Amino acid sequence: MIRPGFARTSFSRKLHVFLSVFLIFAGPVVPVVTGQVLSWDEAVSGARGQTVDWYMWGGSPAVNAYVNGYLADEVKRRYDITLRQVPVKDIAEVVSKLVVEKQAGKDDGGSVDLMWINGENFRTCLRYGLLYGPFADVLPNQRYVDWTNPTVKNDFGTPVEGMESPWGSAQMVMVYDRARIAEPPRSVGALLEWIQAHPGRFSYPAPPDFTGSVFIRHIFYHVAGSVDRWQGDYTQAELEQAAEKTYLVLRELQPALWRGGSTYPESPVRMDTLFADGELDFSFSYHQGDASRKILDGLFPDTVRTYVFDEGTIANTHFVAIPYNAADKAAAMVVADFLLSPEAQLEKAKPGVWGDFPALSQQKLPPQWQQRFADLPRGPATLDDVELQSHQLPEPPSEILIHLEQGWEQQVLKNR
Amino acid sequence: MLHPGTSSTPAVRPTGRTTTAGTLCLLLGPALAVVLVLFAGGLVLGMLQAGGYVPGRGLSSLTVEHVGNVLLDSELLRSFGLTFYISATSTLIACLVSVLLAMALVRLAGRSRTIYFLLQLPLTVPHLVIAISVLLLLSPSGLIARLGVTVGLIDGASSFPLLVNDPLGIGILAVYVWKEIPFITFMLLAVLKNMGTELLEAGATLKATRRQRFFHITLPIIAPALGASGLIVFAFTFGAFEVPYLLGRTHPLLLPVWAYRNYSDIDLLSRPEGIAIGLLITVIIIVSIVLSHLLLGFARKRGITV
Repeated sequence: MIRPGFARTSFSRKLHVFLSVFLIFAGPVVPVVTGQVLSWDEAVSGARGQTVDWYMWGGSPAVNAYVNGYLADEVKRRYDITLRQVPVKDIAEVVSKLVVEKQAGKDDGGSVDLMWINGENFRTCLRYGLLYGPFADVLPNQRYVDWTNPTVKNDFGTPVEGMESPWGSAQMVMVYDRARIAEPPRSVGALLEWIQAHPGRFSYPAPPDFTGSVFIRHIFYHVAGSVDRWQGDYTQAELEQAAEKTYLVLRELQPALWRGGSTYPESPVRMDTLFADGELDFSFSYHQGDASRKILDGLFPDTVRTYVFDEGTIANTHFVAIPYNAADKAAAMVVADFLLSPEAQLEKAKPGVWGDFPALSQQKLPPQWQQRFADLPRGPATLDDVELQSHQLPEPPSEILIHLEQGWEQQVLKNR
Repeated sequence: MLHPGTSSTPAVRPTGRTTTAGTLCLLLGPALAVVLVLFAGGLVLGMLQAGGYVPGRGLSSLTVEHVGNVLLDSELLRSFGLTFYISATSTLIACLVSVLLAMALVRLAGRSRTIYFLLQLPLTVPHLVIAISVLLLLSPSGLIARLGVTVGLIDGASSFPLLVNDPLGIGILAVYVWKEIPFITFMLLAVLKNMGTELLEAGATLKATRRQRFFHITLPIIAPALGASGLIVFAFTFGAFEVPYLLGRTHPLLLPVWAYRNYSDIDLLSRPEGIAIGLLITVIIIVSIVLSHLLLGFARKRGITV
């Protein structure tokens, strides 16, 4: 199973802390240098014959095949660019390499031309001036991106501002079995009532598991009564107050959970198993197409469906960025643009290719492309792009995420 | 007749039996190097990390704060108690069953190779596989529960007793007992086979009851092997991670799971604490190994070979 955005995010969060500690002792913070960015015409003409070394997480055969097959062939044919994938276990390693290069004053001729990043890695890059740009606004295919969508505008609470270009999206969806529940609770509030009315039929993976953690962020948004407030300026007191309310709700919920809340599934895999075995009536996933894939694999019955809350579910976007010292910036820009083209996004979204969800807004696409995306064979459980995209909530900054995970352990898990 | 070129002259000549200290070092060198670099090196690195070592600041950054945090954590006693309970109980049950099994096998099967082969089979199965199997078998929606529902023994998943992720750690105990019995039995069988029947026959001639023969002849002879293998099992179960991770509860955590949780936390500051817990586990395991070694030495003095 491919877990594009969030798998790397949990890695990257670890790196961020490492880097922060490292940099505190390594030297002063380097200010962001924003140089002159190439125009689109300069980029296309300069890109011819260049080689793009794209550093990315290489753990998925489907992603690797898409990059080395379709993408490499197309950019060679269209722009005479050689695309070379450099698979890494964790893009955070590359970010730390760039930090060292920045400190050593290696300002050009860098070996990394393009990186697949998001979340904390992006924040770290911005903070230490490791990125080239803003380049995203220059790319013609940006016209299909809805920059007003908060999950695209902000990357885990950090304003993107053209310093990275979107590639795909991941969104949390609720999973239920139509044969068991005719009408699922369509809001967080209704779900909480449903859990109280059906003791023992719901649970969530224990945070800091990433999927369990996103569930408690939905509760957090629900009790705080606002989503946007956490993207901008908020005081520590406001956060504490909303967090306390979150723990209170979760503590009240505990007796009604699976096994009276005395224990939790250790992973989403276990939660899915409990759901399939009929011990739980709901599961949820941070991948829109995961349930369909599980039906296809025979792990879920055909009657399983997904839905999003009326108020929306949390989503995040994964991006590509160009390092400040990349040797082939022009070609990297052209590749980033091609990644966003409707044809490349459509190919990527095919379940047999990768099944990653498009970073493009369906409303902004020409009608014939909208039709093509709508015609994609998606599993029986997967919602369509319009439904998904109109119900997206942004991720809060990771300091809120960490705050909630730690608080959950102290106040919900241990305070029984 | 042997031709010089094809002769099967042994590499070590009978006269060259006495190895000098130099050759001994040479022979053990590669193995020792691995042990020293990987284990001792890892231990030193672990100690540095538990001390909160920061590369840029040298040894002055070392602190006992993290170790102190772990030792003063109110959770420590609970985690330690639970880990000790799991290890001690599983070792005890495995030892008891193994003694009975080994004695029955040595009488029934004698020197049968098939029995030995069968005993070795479970030794090759990883703990992880058994843990998953136990999950599939014993969970409330597992195979046994479903069978029970089909036959009409129980009403549904909810009336099946809690055997995994349960407060008493029954699932974890089941895995360990199942895995360790063949190991201990195997160790005991080796001793029992060498013991032969002469001593027991002599005892019987002197009118010792079966009970007396067991407590005064068999048990003293197998005791060192039993103690040693028991301690190995104890040490292993004390530090093993995967079984309690899968079959344990979210809270309280066993020490190895707690160490992992801290080490893999987003917050880098809990990493030294994870290592400190790991070191604590190491200390307990080393004490177990030393004890087991002393037992073996004690047995050798009494002329019993294992």
